[in-house]
Amino acid sequence: MSGSWFLIRRTTIVGMAVAMLTAGCTAVPGSTFDPGGASPIITSEPATTASPVVTASAMATASPLVTQEPAMTPEPTIAGIDSPPEALLAVEGGDPVMGQLGTSTWKNGGSDAPWLRGAPITVGAGEPLTVTFLPGMDVASWRTWYVPAASDGQTGGASLGEGVGQPTFQAPAAGSWTVNVTVTFHVENGRADYYWRLDVQ
Amino acid sequence: MTISSRFRRVLPLFAITTVLVGAAIAPPVVVVAHAPDPEFSGALWAQDERLTFRWRAGAEPPAVMKTAILNGAADSNATRASRAATFAYEASGASPIGYGLHATCSVGGLACFTRTAPSGGFTMWFREQGHAFDWGSLRWCQMYSTAPNGCYDVQTVALDEFGHVEILDHHVNFGDKSDYLDAVVQTVSRTKPSAGWDMHTYGRCDTATLQKRYDMQTWSAKYSTCLTLNTALTLSASPTTVLSGASTRLTVVLKVAGADAYGRLRDNPVSNRTVTLQRRVPGSTTWATVGSMAASATGGTYATSVTLVSRTEFRAVFSTPAVEGLVGSVSAIVTVGVCNRSCLLTQPMS
Repeated sequence: MSGSWFLIRRTTIVGMAVAMLTAGCTAVPGSTFDPGGASPIITSEPATTASPVVTASAMATASPLVTQEPAMTPEPTIAGIDSPPEALLAVEGGDPVMGQLGTSTWKNGGSDAPWLRGAPITVGAGEPLTVTFLPGMDVASWRTWYVPAASDGQTGGASLGEGVGQPTFQAPAAGSWTVNVTVTFHVENGRADYYWRLDVQ
Repeated sequence: MTISSRFRRVLPLFAITTVLVGAAIAPPVVVVAHAPDPEFSGALWAQDERLTFRWRAGAEPPAVMKTAILNGAADSNATRASRAATFAYEASGASPIGYGLHATCSVGGLACFTRTAPSGGFTMWFREQGHAFDWGSLRWCQMYSTAPNGCYDVQTVALDEFGHVEILDHHVNFGDKSDYLDAVVQTVSRTKPSAGWDMHTYGRCDTATLQKRYDMQTWSAKYSTCLTLNTALTLSASPTTVLSGASTRLTVVLKVAGADAYGRLRDNPVSNRTVTLQRRVPGSTTWATVGSMAASATGGTYATSVTLVSRTEFRAVFSTPAVEGLVGSVSAIVTVGVCNRSCLLTQPMS
């Protein structure tokens, strides 16, 4: 058992490194991509003189607690145990690409994320795509959604399929798309959104 | 960027380790689009339980965000439309809400939570203003004198998180997202100025689940229109035989049907609705409306007295209302006989 745990940790570290590299590849310095809104960003100055809205509740004026809080440093998480597994998308015979994890719930908690651009992968039109998980994990159900890569994902788009078991679907027509795969695992409250940017040739 | 072949070699071993995770296996819940929000598995809080929170020491939100979070808590309390838990700030509150660099959210998370009902409290975190995601910098609307497009409304995100703490999982939208405003507990939060970016009330599919799990505040309260609850009407008459020209009292009880899927709403009395009494001559196929039945003090009960000169059949009708998630129903037919004095001597009134 200890060997397996060691392997999980070691491979998770590798996975994290790959994720960081992937993120590095997808990040656009000074990007103006707006994950949740279609309109151009208008820069406003942060409020320097904060004037909180006065609420009816007296709670807002209560003194803050000054005692020391535990666990201020986030604990390292182990994918598939403390958080959803990592997801890899691949075409047949191709190298898998780790997806970006969006909103997820896992056991007794959850994390809310915006619509993401997705990790880039180049595929052919109509090619079968398969998602696998690290660590391997039983999938109860899955569904897909894709929109043009430039979209904010808030409206429009279409399904690439849904089902039970391992997610498998076909690449859309030529173009650049963001594909969102929502997966429900056989784990208590185990649901996660993963994103890839498909450059379909 | 691709995964190395070495990485793939360990895949089978990860499959083995899945066994280790197996202890947490639970049957997944299948949720259809446009239904009440799915739920977290795990325990509920007590009905109307007052959950207190404090600012996490060393990770307190800026003043403007504190105000927005407090407003989010107030929004939850005001619009829960159920006996779900309420939230209140106290300096020594049980559950910490934090902000900043130490947030334990996933890499892409704007905000996150944990819940340990019924007695373990909850946690909540908000990422710091300007947090660098790979898509750009996080902007909270409240941090600006004029909120820019593309910012996230703290109050809305806080309400989303408080909804999670209650029991709510993310709403499942239609593919075209046309029902986005049915829930504030959403998989993808919206930014200004997209529709729903500043929702400060629970949506109808949020409250539907809260009602199913925590029950209604009163029997008169409206059921969420995201629900479709069958109802049952039970009509009775007393007495069932009267002298010609005398009256009988017709009483009807309106309840939510007794389906297990309705959770705490099953068999609920339904008060202060419009229930109509109808009558007909036995053998006729046409019903005539007597009128609306008056609500009684007892929950879900309505009554009317009717004077009779001939044998009459009655039924009660509850029409499907447009403003709530109840389905109309019709009672069984009750027949009231009419006798002269000699008849009553041989057939005592009930």
